[in-house]
Amino acid sequence: MTIFTSMQKFICTFFLLTSLFSNAFGQNFNLGGLISDGQRQPISGVVVSVSGSNKTVVTDRDGHFLIKSLDSGTTTIRFARLGYTAIEKTFNIHTDDLKVHVILVAEVRQLKEVTIEDGHTGQKNKTESLNIQTVDAAFIQRNLGGSLMKTLERLPGIKTIGIGSGQSKPLIRGLGFNRVVVVDKGVKHEGQQWGADHGLEIDQFAANQVELIKGAASFIYGSDAIAGAIAINPAPIPMVNSIGGSVDLIGKTNNNLFGSSVNLYARNKQWFLDSRFTYQDYGDYRVPTDEVYVYDYQVKLKDNFLRNTAGREIGTHLNLGYVNERFRSVFYLSNTISNSGFFANAHGLEPRNVDAGMHDASSRDILRPSQKVNHFKIINRSVLEDGNHRFEGELGYQRNLRKEFSDYVNHGYMPSVYPSFMTVPSDLEREFDKVVYSANLRDRITLGKHELSLGLNGEHQNNGINGYTFLVPAFNQYSIGSFVYDKYRLNDNILLHAALRYDHSRIKMFSYTDWFPSTITSGAVAREEYVVRSSDLKRQFNSVVWSVGANYNLDRFSLKANVGKSFRMPIAKELGANGVNYHYFSFEKGDPSLAPEQSYQADLSLEWKAEQWSILLSPFYNYFSNYIYLNPTSGHDTNYGAGNQIFQYAQSKVVRYGAELQFKIKFLKTLTAEALGEYLSAEQRSGDKAGYTLPFSPPASALFNLTWSPVLKNRPEGTYFSIDYRVTSPQNNIVPPEKKTPGYQLINLQAGTKIKFYNQSLMISLQAQNVLNTRYLNHTSFYRLIALPEMGRNIVLSVKIPFSSIKNKS
Amino acid sequence: MKKAFFYFSFLTVLCLSACKKETENEIDTEYPTIDVTAASAFPKQCGEVSRGETFTFRALLGDNTALGSLSLDIHHNFDHHTHSTEVETCSMEPIKVPVKPFLLIKSFPIPAEQRSFLMEQQITIPSDIDPGDYHFMIRLTDKEGWQTIKGLSIKIK
Repeated sequence: MTIFTSMQKFICTFFLLTSLFSNAFGQNFNLGGLISDGQRQPISGVVVSVSGSNKTVVTDRDGHFLIKSLDSGTTTIRFARLGYTAIEKTFNIHTDDLKVHVILVAEVRQLKEVTIEDGHTGQKNKTESLNIQTVDAAFIQRNLGGSLMKTLERLPGIKTIGIGSGQSKPLIRGLGFNRVVVVDKGVKHEGQQWGADHGLEIDQFAANQVELIKGAASFIYGSDAIAGAIAINPAPIPMVNSIGGSVDLIGKTNNNLFGSSVNLYARNKQWFLDSRFTYQDYGDYRVPTDEVYVYDYQVKLKDNFLRNTAGREIGTHLNLGYVNERFRSVFYLSNTISNSGFFANAHGLEPRNVDAGMHDASSRDILRPSQKVNHFKIINRSVLEDGNHRFEGELGYQRNLRKEFSDYVNHGYMPSVYPSFMTVPSDLEREFDKVVYSANLRDRITLGKHELSLGLNGEHQNNGINGYTFLVPAFNQYSIGSFVYDKYRLNDNILLHAALRYDHSRIKMFSYTDWFPSTITSGAVAREEYVVRSSDLKRQFNSVVWSVGANYNLDRFSLKANVGKSFRMPIAKELGANGVNYHYFSFEKGDPSLAPEQSYQADLSLEWKAEQWSILLSPFYNYFSNYIYLNPTSGHDTNYGAGNQIFQYAQSKVVRYGAELQFKIKFLKTLTAEALGEYLSAEQRSGDKAGYTLPFSPPASALFNLTWSPVLKNRPEGTYFSIDYRVTSPQNNIVPPEKKTPGYQLINLQAGTKIKFYNQSLMISLQAQNVLNTRYLNHTSFYRLIALPEMGRNIVLSVKIPFSSIKNKS
Repeated sequence: MKKAFFYFSFLTVLCLSACKKETENEIDTEYPTIDVTAASAFPKQCGEVSRGETFTFRALLGDNTALGSLSLDIHHNFDHHTHSTEVETCSMEPIKVPVKPFLLIKSFPIPAEQRSFLMEQQITIPSDIDPGDYHFMIRLTDKEGWQTIKGLSIKIK
């Protein structure tokens, strides 16, 4: 049935294409070229528009653009990009296609970079066969959520798995955890990706631009990019002889958050320094109810506060770099610290009896249970240009230290009183200490119509554990991968892509023995045993993946198609878990024989851009031959699992498909409307849960937006009033241990303006999230299983005050 | 151009609606049930059992397709750390440090392919254990892996 309907979809798509191809235009002239900055660095995302017509293209990653079907004669073209002075140039085209090289001059950074226009739908990159969406700092400021991923959730196909008001992880088309790669400044961000109860250690104020790749991107990013990748880019290099910075001030009413992010930068001709310090402090968040039920037990909430969900975040960043005309090298140093509480009345699924008076004394204190995460990073990113070569390299060191604090409770066979011989503190339930070394090397070569990329990635990890409970063994792992990717410009309308990648990885897990004896019963005989939870295990994996794609661009129509194979190495938890997750009443058993997960995916993207409206449809089809899945079985284990339900890692065939739709229309010069929709279906085709979906499958949803952007006298551009209406369907397609989630509707409002202030543009953004204070459950929230409602009404105010100056000598 | 747009919209709607029909597969999404409301069911919330005595744990188990397995866990709650899953709250003894708390972790078989089953098991409480507040945790799965938890507060006298 599924194969039939998905086939049907592809047949539909092809009909669709043929109907559009028949509208081909007559032969005209083309204008193409390269846009770079003063340092000859190509500039991507430059909007190139032809005056007096609606023709608009955007430069690709390498600064290239192509405008087709121009009439002969004189043509005026405008080149514009955030952070650069827009210019207009006039060209004469008479006899032949024209190639040009345009240099854009950077504006003083952060003065103008926060403009609104290309934030929302994001200009589609017409030379990438992958489905890429880019958002900038203005989008982040305008839609500022509790975390970077929460902010990105407005985009179709992007959801989050979150806990509380400040932590969340990305879900791309319903897949998350180790199936999405987050790349920060060119290096894969490594934390505890497998866990649902904590977030990413990323400071959203330090993110200047975020690229989202929906669909398999393993051939570039390696294992884990099986569902997609999120690449976070830092602020661009400041202009020569400039000094400046900005102050961000943030306030939120729901959890009484206050925060600030301060940036200072300076550059002479070749050296620059860029620093940022972010601090955010928030209290317990409020939900639109004064009681919640943990099972049937009624928990009263004081003043709607979810007890003990307060937190604090500190981010420190220092970038130091050298730039000349052909070479650029930047060191990025960052340290993020977050400390946040868990809802006190339930730890996991376990109802907890709490001293409500102690917790309710302050809504800002962080008591137990709580977590502390520290992520430290040093990255060097260098680029060297030599003729038609562009060498890029990244070296990274990261340390992710996560601690989970909870008062000792003797679950299962654990001794009833915490023994004095234990060196682990009695409130340290779990600790994960990860040290990662990464290295990437790439060479991009331009050879006629070919653009060839060769790359090498290597990573080494040491993972330690601590705490009085056990879930995942300590392990070391390394991986090495290499790829070749060719982009071939067949003609002015068609680009072809092909990529091949090989990976090798090894993992070595270390044994762990319980510090307390369990009662092991076989037949009528019972004995005491210190259970060996995990034994020494070595595995190695090899993988070859490929990808082929095409772009077809014809005036208003553009098509992207991509087919490829992706993979993911099993993680230590999947191979070696053998622990009781007492708060989930689950005994999680790994399978040391798991094979690398393999996935085949077909992506399509169809876009039509007319003068006043545009539509973009992106369907996809995905088949996993062995999706690795934690399967809740019908059995209990009274020996090693202390009586808990057995959750066994298993592999099954999975078919997934879905689509995103984006429609935008401009009614008036100042009035636009937008509709974003997403649909996803996943089904397991083999194994114990054949017929079931995958866990954390987001329900279908649609977002309707109306934006009024009036042009005010004596004001810089950038005043807007905007309303988002989101409709989410119920999710009744569930798999153990999930619960059906009813549908809901939400209204969010956004407004903002810019004010001239001492010759700088001060930017003010205001948001009202969940305006109607709707009580709803989020299917992909960590707290869904104990039915905690999501955050109620929240007013967010953020102000950005930039300052800068340029010395005139050079 | 209008024609193209018409095709585009029409086919989009068609394609998306084709996807929609998918979810009609018959999958079981119902959790099993643990019923302790019958007069003969035992123990009940805030119930009492005595040291050195044997009682019969009796609960009616049900599922729409087939029951899986049942696991029982009796552990102390002298520190009041956890709460029962029930509406009714019970009077608690003062917090105390356990010396020799009673612990029982046991699973009881359920015959295969049962939609309803009356669980009856004899449980003996040793005479030398600490009396006080205990939790009587019943975990019941069905064949598909849905698990229902009932945590009752009981007292051992």
